[in-house]
Amino acid sequence: MDEIFKNGVKEIRTKICSGETTSVEVVKACYKRIAQVEPKVKAFLKLNEEQALKHAALSDDKIKSGAKYGFLEGVPIGIKDNIMIKGESMTSASKYLENYISPYDAAVIEKLKKVGAVFIGRTNMDEFAMGGSTETSAYQKTANPWDITKIPGGSSGGSAAAVSAGMVPFALGSDTGGSIRQPAGFTGIVGYKPSYGLISRYGVCALASSFDQIGSFSRTVKDTALLVSVISGKDYRDPVCEPIESADYTHDLDNPDTLKNLKIGIPKELGNYKNDPEIMKAFNDAVAKLKLDGAEIIEISAPSYKYVPALYKVIMCAEVSANIATFDGIRYGYRSPNGVSLNDEYSKSRAESLGYEVKKRILFGTYVLGAQNYHRCYHQAQRVRTLLINDLNAAFLQCDFIFSPATLQMPVKFGGELPEECDIFLIAANLGGFPGITVPCAFSPDGMPIGVHFMGRRFSDLKLFQAAHAFERIAGFDSYKYPLCADK
Amino acid sequence: MLKEELETTAFLARIAVKEEEKEKYLKDLNYMFQYIEVLQEPDVTDVKPTTHVTELRNVWREDEVKPCPKETRDAMFKGAPETEGNFYKIKKVIEAE
Repeated sequence: MDEIFKNGVKEIRTKICSGETTSVEVVKACYKRIAQVEPKVKAFLKLNEEQALKHAALSDDKIKSGAKYGFLEGVPIGIKDNIMIKGESMTSASKYLENYISPYDAAVIEKLKKVGAVFIGRTNMDEFAMGGSTETSAYQKTANPWDITKIPGGSSGGSAAAVSAGMVPFALGSDTGGSIRQPAGFTGIVGYKPSYGLISRYGVCALASSFDQIGSFSRTVKDTALLVSVISGKDYRDPVCEPIESADYTHDLDNPDTLKNLKIGIPKELGNYKNDPEIMKAFNDAVAKLKLDGAEIIEISAPSYKYVPALYKVIMCAEVSANIATFDGIRYGYRSPNGVSLNDEYSKSRAESLGYEVKKRILFGTYVLGAQNYHRCYHQAQRVRTLLINDLNAAFLQCDFIFSPATLQMPVKFGGELPEECDIFLIAANLGGFPGITVPCAFSPDGMPIGVHFMGRRFSDLKLFQAAHAFERIAGFDSYKYPLCADK
Repeated sequence: MLKEELETTAFLARIAVKEEEKEKYLKDLNYMFQYIEVLQEPDVTDVKPTTHVTELRNVWREDEVKPCPKETRDAMFKGAPETEGNFYKIKKVIEAE
């Protein structure tokens, strides 16, 4: 492992800009690590070393010439394959988009280019982000770097594995129902989903529009806060992006008194679900540490948690069926050569190029939106969604953050199944538009990482980083311990 | 869900489902129907639906035609399965009598 990877993003950038190292050296170190572990981990769908080195050399020239350089100048980053980079492919891990070339940059990519970040490669994911294991990718299965016989979680499993294994210092992902935070929990890194509307989704392949958010993976909370300072902020091209300016999300991160002024709520409902005893042990240790450092711990209750899996499935599938309707094989993407009429061509193009999970969700979503079923299914779900949000808002009157394990189960082997309540405390954040962050806190006796999750009020993202960072300092987890990328 | 309902839904969704796939779809979709049932339980009288957690705003612009640069047009057409001149080409929609 190259020494450079014992540093946070800010330190890497400082070393590049001070001349202690160069962007080319850092990018080469990433590719060296990729060459070592990627054959086993398979985190990337596409790598472009030549282009990345070219960009790195440009950053180095800029710095050497004394020209004005960016906030992330020369720092390497991984990008999930559902985010558009102009002139490059974007498959969303689907055969439908196998030959698709992005005609423009996503808003987050525009911003990253402006500050000089270097794109290392496109990370694997579940097809159109539909799944929780990265196994529905049409191209390859990504392994968990802590045990390559196990799943990394999903849908952003490629980004999680790439950061966890030390192939990139940080990466972008998307989170519709825990798709960043669950794999971050499974791979022992920090995973963050912002408040709904904080980060523009312009140029990102949509899954369920009322839940989707872009977020990040990193080794530390500070690196995530730094990245969010760059990629957040208003954008009229995403109609639900709030008209607020980006800010410095690293502000006051090191305040030693953060925890003393916090009320942390533990959901009573946590006891209602099947959980892994090692996870609960680590969680209880985490609670004890927070308490010891001055946080007030209280019990909160949100009875509507029990509706989370059903709510998520009904609303998400409905929105999926509407969003994926755009894939018709006319303007771009796969067109079946077997169609005999226009309708037949649509149906066959979609049937032949989309995976089973995607098709199943489209069919369920089409059903719940059907004229005869709409009121009983979709409309009813939206009303129950209000009940859940009311419950959680009531809880936020009593506490600043809701604290839970990141996941209730450990990652399974390929082909295994996770119970659907495994990540309900993460999905609640998507249903309510709340920000959430997972932070690693311990290892199980067999060496698999375990994480915890903080969820805050909408637009309390800065305070969320402060709390998560304060916890990170007392958690006793070595953020720079790298996995062997082997089987146990 | 019955086989006929699956066929209607698949047509509405424009997804061709082969005869031999129907059993698996029906099994999985019927399993998912329990979610709909679970959501009938709470009393939602007077509860407003949440479509989005944020207020949707209309974004207005002047209604004016802006010329599309040739390179943009070419790039967009390059990704299309079939084109003719400045058009996407599709199967005939209206059949001759």
